Amino acid sequence: MTERAIDDLTRHAFVDGRLSPEQRQAMHAYLRANPDEAQKLASWQSDAQRLRDVASQETLHPNPNLDPDAIRARLRARSRQRLAMAASFVMTLAVGGLAGWSAHDTVVANHVLPMQDAMQAYRLFASADAPQPDVSAGASDLQRWLDTHFAHAERLPNLSASGFKPIAARLLATDQGPAAVVIYENANERATFYIRPPGPGGKFLPQGSRRDGDLLARYWSGQGYNYAVVSSGDDGVVQPLAAPGTTRS
Amino acid sequence: MLEPVRMPTDDAVPSEDDAVDADDLSDAVVRQLLPRLRRFALHLTRESESADDLVQSTLERALTRWPGRRPEGNVRAWLFTILYRQFLDSQRQTRRYSRLRDWFAGSEATAPSAEREAIARSALGAFGRLPESQRTLLWLVSVEDMSYKAVADLLDVPLGTVMSRLSRARSALRDLSEGKGNEPCLRILK
Repeated sequence: MTERAIDDLTRHAFVDGRLSPEQRQAMHAYLRANPDEAQKLASWQSDAQRLRDVASQETLHPNPNLDPDAIRARLRARSRQRLAMAASFVMTLAVGGLAGWSAHDTVVANHVLPMQDAMQAYRLFASADAPQPDVSAGASDLQRWLDTHFAHAERLPNLSASGFKPIAARLLATDQGPAAVVIYENANERATFYIRPPGPGGKFLPQGSRRDGDLLARYWSGQGYNYAVVSSGDDGVVQPLAAPGTTRS
Repeated sequence: MLEPVRMPTDDAVPSEDDAVDADDLSDAVVRQLLPRLRRFALHLTRESESADDLVQSTLERALTRWPGRRPEGNVRAWLFTILYRQFLDSQRQTRRYSRLRDWFAGSEATAPSAEREAIARSALGAFGRLPESQRTLLWLVSVEDMSYKAVADLLDVPLGTVMSRLSRARSALRDLSEGKGNEPCLRILK
């Protein structure tokens, strides 16, 4: 008789005590005739028993986190968190969308060309029939006059490279506060330096230039004000020279 | 010549606990099964902390899924199956991670940790030195007394495969117990 006479299933069912009484009886008879097999299965049985013994003696530390109540509470908390996160996501989208839309409106409504008022000031005060200026003086007087109205502003730009010298100035009013135009003159033409508070919403300007008809404006921001140098566009942009105390050229 | 023992059908040999029943994942049932899940997890992970993490994620998954899905077998087999699948998933992740770690840190990272070695040598002795798949199989059959059919479903293999693997596992355990240490033993005890 070889081991082939019984199969693995029967063998293990015997070891694990899963045979019916009749099957067990037949198995015992078989094993009496096969002592090697009997010994092997007996050792498998004792191995299994030892394993059960060790397992049952093993102590587990209580872990309240694993109690179903705790697990369910955590699951509920997590789904609340997810819900809250989803809600805040929806809110973010809604708020973002609304803000974006109103920002779009604002941009459209406020789409004013930069330093349009500087251009107008040039046309008004640098023309041949300009009204009387508030002050007419040399550079140092004009600087002092400007400082009384615009604290800490940048210095008057030095336009002497193009032959321009400041000759007069005039105070103006904007929605955001006082502005001023300083008129420069060279042999043939006039240029203006325009200073004003930032536009609605404290909008400062990136450095840039633009043409409007025959005028050319170069504009920038600094020290809490917006500035522009406007000149007749035929000669190109008037470049101020760096002067002592000037924070920008 | 003795007549061969007639092979029992699996249905004819229900194991007692498979009847722990089972249609309901009530808190009482979970509490009753909790120590078994924790012990099984402990023998898979060999670290009590990660074992409890494994049990926790198993229960979370089970309690989340339960309303929509009833297990085919009994609750215990279902929970053990979820736990084992999660364990295998985490093993795969760990292997991926350790391959990455080896790539950066060199091969010393692959050495078994002191803790692992200590556990491998601990009370379970020879059993602890068996490969994971054999430990799992012996644990489910001998300790959990799970039916062969339930084990086959859990491992997702045919019943015949379970029986032949069980023979190999029991022989391997015997060899290790008798000091006929094979390769895994030598590796761990070096």
